[in-house]
Amino acid sequence: MNRKEFLSDCGKMGMAGVALSLFPWLESCSEKAKQEVQGEKVQIGIIGTGSRGLFHIKHLVQMPNVEVVALCDNYRPHLEDAAQYYPEAKLYDDYRRMLENKDVKGVIIATPLYLHAPMTIAAMEAGKAVFCEKSMAYTMDEALEVYNCRKELGGVLFIGQQRLFDPKYVKAMQMIHEGVIGEVVGVRNYWYRNNNWRREVPSPELERHINWRLYSEYSRGLMTELACHQLQNGSWAMGQLPKQVMGAGSLIHWDKEDERDVYDNVCAIFTYPNGVNMTFESIISNKHFGMGEQILGTKGTIDLVTAMHYTDEPAPKGSGMHQLIEQIESGVMSNSVFAGTSWAAESSALAPGMPIMQNVKVVSGESSVGAEADGSKELLEAFLHAVVTGKQPEKVLEESYYATQFALLADKAMHENAILTLDEKYKVPYTPF
Amino acid sequence: MKDSIITAQAKKRELWILLACFVVANITNWVAIIRFSAPWYEVFTQIGYVVVTTLVIYALMAILRIAFKVYKLITRK
Repeated sequence: MNRKEFLSDCGKMGMAGVALSLFPWLESCSEKAKQEVQGEKVQIGIIGTGSRGLFHIKHLVQMPNVEVVALCDNYRPHLEDAAQYYPEAKLYDDYRRMLENKDVKGVIIATPLYLHAPMTIAAMEAGKAVFCEKSMAYTMDEALEVYNCRKELGGVLFIGQQRLFDPKYVKAMQMIHEGVIGEVVGVRNYWYRNNNWRREVPSPELERHINWRLYSEYSRGLMTELACHQLQNGSWAMGQLPKQVMGAGSLIHWDKEDERDVYDNVCAIFTYPNGVNMTFESIISNKHFGMGEQILGTKGTIDLVTAMHYTDEPAPKGSGMHQLIEQIESGVMSNSVFAGTSWAAESSALAPGMPIMQNVKVVSGESSVGAEADGSKELLEAFLHAVVTGKQPEKVLEESYYATQFALLADKAMHENAILTLDEKYKVPYTPF
Repeated sequence: MKDSIITAQAKKRELWILLACFVVANITNWVAIIRFSAPWYEVFTQIGYVVVTTLVIYALMAILRIAFKVYKLITRK
């Protein structure tokens, strides 16, 4: 979906005005913003050309307003793969040298988590606009450092929280803010897969270099690689931040096959000031339920992944005549019951639900690289727009910052087996929706 | 094959029976409206159901009348 299609979708959803006022970062998707950068070509460099970097490149080659002038990776095969798309680009194996390139106006950072903060800070100090993959940083202190650096230097900083630009999430959140599902009383997130999360390694000494996600020296595992995306749902739906988090994590299956030390099974509960809980659960040795993100309200539920709305209100009854026929029918057709269940669950889960918009592409969550139509392309387009204008969209950074902080705080809670609150020093201004 | 003759009296009788079925179907609709607290405009909007019910009652009555006639023919012999 390109920007035009996204805008068209927004229009169809009646989002043009309402959503832009509710979610100001979408301003960069407006017609006015499009005209603002018409004819401009953006020169960018990419640091990290592995699977995720390549995923972005595949979007970038479809965009006429962008020119990738520099590529950087310290793993040669990845760099050569990327160079096939941009044979004119200068190749680097050291990001610091790439940042010295004056032609580069913006950089996309798609490297292992532990490198996000130092690379982002170095790029901002070099005067580049930065798009860094989530999570924002490997530690809470680093995340704050990145936030403060951007505050001090100004400039543009995007973090790869693509749900903010996914039309189905935008529509769902608009409905939630309009009270369609009543008062929000719960947020459920889960992400199940059944694979070892490994990449093929050509020789053993490259194991940690390629499978960095599996080692706590480089990554915080499921919390920073998956949860970070979903934790945003609670604050987006309720306009507030969790007051505390507790959780449990363990290695229950995949450690039997390799040397990994990040959890392969996690469960966390985030409690908001109003008492509402948001859960996150991830297991990577069973994929039955796939990926799910549900906002539960007093009047209904919205499933963000499938873009479906389920109402808790009783279904409208048919006409009197219809009900009479149904009653006669059930009287004639039903079996005589002498004993049976004394209760039935009060469930609307089997109700068919209503799609909140048409032509929704449902993302299974199985790919560890990225999925089509998940907002990534729109996020990238918004970043390119910001590189030209130099304007940082409202709230994008704050949402990403807190998603990272709470993912890291939950990871800490799991390791310390404690209920934790976010330390005052990590709190930055947050404007509710 | 001989021509069948439907007398004016027979036609009139069938029309009266059909009208009676229509009345019964309407009464059923009114009962349903009262019983299920449905709005009274369903007297008109549910006319489709009423017509179908009329035909169903008429068909049931036809079956009963044929069965009764067959029974009478058998017992006369």
